[in-house]
Amino acid sequence: MIEAQTLTKRYGAKTAVDSVSFTVQPGRVTGFLGPNGAGKSTTMRMIMGLDNPSGGQVTINGRPYAKHKAPLHEVGALLDAKAVHTKRSAYNHLRAMAATHGIPNSRVNEVIELTGLGAVAKKRVGGFSLGMGQRLGIAVALLGDPQTVILDEPVNGLDPEGVQWVRHLARDLAAEGRTVFLSSHLMSEMALTADHLIVIGRGRIIADAPIQDIIDGQSKARVRVRADRPQDLLNPLAGDGVSSQLLEPELIEITGVDPRRIAETAQRTGVLIYELTPLQLSLEDAYMQLTQAEVEYQSHSLSPTAPDTTQLTIPVEGRRP
Amino acid sequence: MSAQTATSPSPSRHAPRPGSGITFSRVLRSEWIKVTTVRSTVILIASTVLVMIGLAALTAWGYAQLAQSINDGSLPADLQAQGPGSPATDALTTPSSGLIFGQLLIASLAVVLIASEWTTGMIRSTMVAVPGRTPALLAKTVVIAAVSFLVGLLSAVVSYLIAQPILGGQDIDFALTEDGVLASIVNTGTFLALVAVISISLGILLRNTAGGVVTAVGIFFVLPVIMQLLSGLAAWVPDAARFLPGEAGNRMVAVTAAGDTLTQLQGGLVMGAWAVAFLVAALIVTKKRDV
Repeated sequence: MIEAQTLTKRYGAKTAVDSVSFTVQPGRVTGFLGPNGAGKSTTMRMIMGLDNPSGGQVTINGRPYAKHKAPLHEVGALLDAKAVHTKRSAYNHLRAMAATHGIPNSRVNEVIELTGLGAVAKKRVGGFSLGMGQRLGIAVALLGDPQTVILDEPVNGLDPEGVQWVRHLARDLAAEGRTVFLSSHLMSEMALTADHLIVIGRGRIIADAPIQDIIDGQSKARVRVRADRPQDLLNPLAGDGVSSQLLEPELIEITGVDPRRIAETAQRTGVLIYELTPLQLSLEDAYMQLTQAEVEYQSHSLSPTAPDTTQLTIPVEGRRP
Repeated sequence: MSAQTATSPSPSRHAPRPGSGITFSRVLRSEWIKVTTVRSTVILIASTVLVMIGLAALTAWGYAQLAQSINDGSLPADLQAQGPGSPATDALTTPSSGLIFGQLLIASLAVVLIASEWTTGMIRSTMVAVPGRTPALLAKTVVIAAVSFLVGLLSAVVSYLIAQPILGGQDIDFALTEDGVLASIVNTGTFLALVAVISISLGILLRNTAGGVVTAVGIFFVLPVIMQLLSGLAAWVPDAARFLPGEAGNRMVAVTAAGDTLTQLQGGLVMGAWAVAFLVAALIVTKKRDV
């Protein structure tokens, strides 16, 4: 189990991780999702004791990582596939890592087999493809047969077969009762692997819920309406599971009511409607919406005449006001 | 994924096994594996030994030539005027004469071994495996210092053996039992070990190969020259210069103590103090900084 309490990391004036608190439970795959620069890697580096928090603390199985007597048996982590001396072979890298904990060479050979590195294990890591590097990083993470496994962007650079393999591995490890925490910036990947999602944007947690709740919560029927008297339209619609947001004086977004009922209500109350757009949300859209305001490096259209994309705001607990 | 499930142990095995975990001797072993599994490191260590022995053989040949010139009166007039010194006494330092270049190689090696961990990213693996940080850096320091000591000792012993027949031609060969000779041979190793400790500390502090090597060269080679140039400025400058790490280290391998210079033991203590100071600074800084 990983527990972070008001964990904070500041680099000078910039706050990379802003007072985040979360718990990663054993027995399930927890996805750590966020755009690039959201603070995923920094959080993971703090969990593994590489970066010292500016505030708060994070513990694994009750104590900070560095306080464990046999840390590789507690936690295995792939933080960075490039954390290897390029002139050393994969086999010798694993041997050197294993030696610190007295892990026998038989286990080194096991993880080499397990990760499919057999053919290249005696070759210099410098010549590895990104995918092979990822496999080596995962081999190191599994070396100590740890109770907790942390993988930062594990499918980066893997071929489709490798991606599948990582998915199965993560699910198998969780099925064995281990704590599995993986980060990604790809919602689609998480949808296939994770049971629970922690979404981070600009260093803050913007969602922490079972993956199904996030999909449900974000993909409810949503309709964009332009009307001359929005309030007169909303009053009769009010009810359970219905929420609305005034985006402009005459533009509202209504959640939880289907478009037909809105049109009927408008007819009945005599409110003039001049736009009625059902908004279909895919999981990817849900994620984009969750994180849109939190994206650090936003891409802009190159064409100056491109229409503005409508930015929707969703009230999510814990979000910056 | 049958292979995966076959090798994944049941959760019941997760309890820490007895005897498992980090111990200093295990970290030492890990660092030993690291040093011996990068081919360029092994080649650099072997070449250091060869270069030091070669330099010592050349030095012995030089002293033999000088002794011969003095004996048959063919010494060039300008050398005669300078006073050629006593080749017989000077030759006593032949075993350690490879240090001139050996310290440069060992300093580079030590800086490269630690700084390359930062430049390749290896340090993150190291510090995840040994999150206490200090044991990992201490173990690396011990391994490199021990290797450097052996490089120095081996070179000096072989240099002594090779030099004797060369010097013997002019009757200026000498026994190991002569005052200070044995200590000078052992201290050739000690000198290199301390150079390694100072250099590895620089590598840890700077995290950069080029910067570390340049700083090490600055401390061992350039600083003494600067002090020499400034020695006319004030009386304390040459006094202070004696306590520079390189200068103090040179006294460890000197066989004849002249005037107010440091003795072998004093030289060793002064250089040792420098090494400890650099290392402690490096360990404290690493403990506090992010990896």
